[in-house]
Amino acid sequence: MGGFNWQQLWEIASAPDNVPIVALLFLAPFYTWYAFHQARENDRLIDQLEADPKLAKTHHRKTFPWRPGWLKEIHTWPYLMRMELLVAIIVTVILTVWSLTLNAPLEELSNPNLTMNPAKAPWYFLGLQEMLVYFDPWIAGVLMPTLIIVGLMVIPYIDENPLGSGYYTLKQRKFAIATFCFGFMVLWLVMVFIGTFIRGPGWMWFWPGQTWDPGRVVFEPNRDLPDLFGVSSMPVKIVFGAIVMALYVAVVGYGLHKLITRAGFNKKIYERMSVIQYVVMQTFLVVMLLLPIKILIRLLFRIKYIWITPWFNV
Amino acid sequence: MANPEDARPAESPQGAAVATPPASKPAPKAPGARPAAPPAAQKPPVNKFRRRLIWTAVWGYLAANFFMFLRFFFPRALFEPNTVHTIGYPSDFQIGVNEKYKQAYRIWVVKEPPRLFCIFGKCTHLGCTPDWKPAENKFKCPCHGSGYTPEGVNFEGPAPRPMDRAQVELDATGQIVVDTSRLFSWFKSAGGPDHFEDPGAYITV
Amino acid sequence: MADQVSTTPEPKDEPPKLDKIRQGLKAFSDKAKEDIEALKKPEKTPLYKSMFRVKHDESERSRALSVLTNVFFHLHPAKVNRDAVRYGYTWGMGGITFYLFIVLTFTGVLLMFYYHPSKGQAYRDIVYLMNDVPFGRLLRNMHRWAAHLMVIAVWLHMFRVFLTGSYKRPREFNWCVGVVLLVFTLLLSFTGYLLPDDQLGFWAVTVGTNMARATPLLGHEGPFGPQLGMTPYNDVRFALLGGSIVDANALLRAYIWHCLAIPIIVSLLLGVHFWRVRKDGGISGPAPVQLESEIKPIRKI
Repeated sequence: MGGFNWQQLWEIASAPDNVPIVALLFLAPFYTWYAFHQARENDRLIDQLEADPKLAKTHHRKTFPWRPGWLKEIHTWPYLMRMELLVAIIVTVILTVWSLTLNAPLEELSNPNLTMNPAKAPWYFLGLQEMLVYFDPWIAGVLMPTLIIVGLMVIPYIDENPLGSGYYTLKQRKFAIATFCFGFMVLWLVMVFIGTFIRGPGWMWFWPGQTWDPGRVVFEPNRDLPDLFGVSSMPVKIVFGAIVMALYVAVVGYGLHKLITRAGFNKKIYERMSVIQYVVMQTFLVVMLLLPIKILIRLLFRIKYIWITPWFNV
Repeated sequence: MANPEDARPAESPQGAAVATPPASKPAPKAPGARPAAPPAAQKPPVNKFRRRLIWTAVWGYLAANFFMFLRFFFPRALFEPNTVHTIGYPSDFQIGVNEKYKQAYRIWVVKEPPRLFCIFGKCTHLGCTPDWKPAENKFKCPCHGSGYTPEGVNFEGPAPRPMDRAQVELDATGQIVVDTSRLFSWFKSAGGPDHFEDPGAYITV
Repeated sequence: MADQVSTTPEPKDEPPKLDKIRQGLKAFSDKAKEDIEALKKPEKTPLYKSMFRVKHDESERSRALSVLTNVFFHLHPAKVNRDAVRYGYTWGMGGITFYLFIVLTFTGVLLMFYYHPSKGQAYRDIVYLMNDVPFGRLLRNMHRWAAHLMVIAVWLHMFRVFLTGSYKRPREFNWCVGVVLLVFTLLLSFTGYLLPDDQLGFWAVTVGTNMARATPLLGHEGPFGPQLGMTPYNDVRFALLGGSIVDANALLRAYIWHCLAIPIIVSLLLGVHFWRVRKDGGISGPAPVQLESEIKPIRKI
């Protein structure tokens, strides 16, 4: 193996359609930091107010300056409108410079009999395409997107924590923020990153710096979990897989339950939740955690299916 | 750039909070309203140069985009059907009006010795394709009734001038080559020059 | 004038014709001067006042009215939270997304002038646009990069809304509308991807729609699909493509989804989304911090 192939890395990073992901590599951490920075300032204020009840009664409750007598509201025109104009100008400048310097990709005419290697989905769907490695198409392509969309929509209805509404905070919403960041950063953005920079020809795994060699030979035969345990007949496989899945749900569900009811604050919020809210939350969290686990056992142990039935495989 | 913090009533230079009672300032219509807009003296001076620079840049950008928008509608290259056609030998055609290539190339090949020329079948009124009426020995446009002689010269109806003639020449093998994108006109009623006499408007047979 | 001979009796003080003309001219020029003076204050002319119904001075009233009575601005309230203007709170991402949507609509319409959604022609049209149309290359680039920026902006907007808890009561429904808008943004991107009919777009759509054939119950290769009578000629993939293969029908359908159907749906949903922002109380913050000790118990219905 040669040394670190910078040329290969540059080729990938500078491909016109990959530029947005490179931009995301800077934007996502920056905005996360920006948000957390404000959250920490707010948390400091919250600590201050919790320690001093008298102050809590008179303070205007924000980290921004304010004195009695100051206006709490300001005119949209001109203050907000000119901020908007400024932002529009900046976005236009960025877009114009980008459009002048980088050409949109255009490959050869479509040819149904010749597939490019690698054949990648648009970058925003690369996360889902990566899922295809670990799950069957109906799960990765249909079930998961549906669950993601429904799961996102369900969030406001299962969130019984009234704190943090309208301001950045970390300490008052630890669980919610941790879960969302896990889902957004790890499960979505990292998958997009892997799909862009790591997956090369043949959808093979190439670490950054490795040359994308379409002729690289790999021998990674997969095995199924039932096979590992010596299960060979179909009915037993069905039962075996069902048991494993049930065990997983039980263990993870219990673990999550312990986590939610452990600390004082979390327990308080848990007590506010109705049964439906709780069950829905558990369902989505359990399914969500199935992803990284399946990914890991596939990447580390080459295990493909856990549950095999004549109609579907998980 | 003045920021919203200026939207507050006057305070002493040390920045100490002064909860000035509303009455100290001429309050707007509603009594008991919050202190009104700040006196103009409190705002930091507007950087006129910078402001003008930015507005010039904004309007300049928009003006440039407007001209780009206009220019966008005029492509540099066109892919339109070919206008140059080879239509055979002069001997292939009879005396008078030949309709052989009217459907294919929109031309009548007219042979009146010693000349052969091609009339381009576009009515000079509003552009319809006239019909050749051998029984009446004239071209008649179905749209508004313009009538032309067998040589294509207008004599009735709203047509302002004779039908144009396409460029014709003989190639190396002696065949006629017609180019319908090069037309010869005669603005007869305005007293214009008769381009039907120009070289290229006819071939001698 | 004593030495003038007049044929008709005239009153003594009537001026001769020449003076009359001079007087008339003077009156005319005085009026013209008045008009020119009036033009020096254009905002007082009836023409101006008919177009701009609000004075643009610095009074409270004018500032409020210039927002409330303007068809483009009246999305905004007359006044906003003083700290909401700070970039750090909203990051402007919602507004940026909307602005990019407008840019994409405008550039997209222009692109339509040179595009035929037919199998052989589409690719040639893009090549034509990039090479033979003045500013065609710039326009196509702007459209493509604005699309990518919009996807990024919409994700960052969702992220920000989550981190500031701006989906909590009473804004739950608006969050859901936003999720649907997110999905449609991605679909807009996806349908647009196919339109150049190049290898990139063709295979991206092939992979995408092949996943559709694996839909449970509705796809001919999905769990329980074949049992329900799904074949390549009647399943959900067929409905998307207008056929069993990614061909001319698929291109036309993608074109119509991309240029017409989805933008109309998105515009309607944007209307709802903006309406709800206002009705739910405007931009959620920055709001005063609440303490744990101040949490009210849930009201049971």
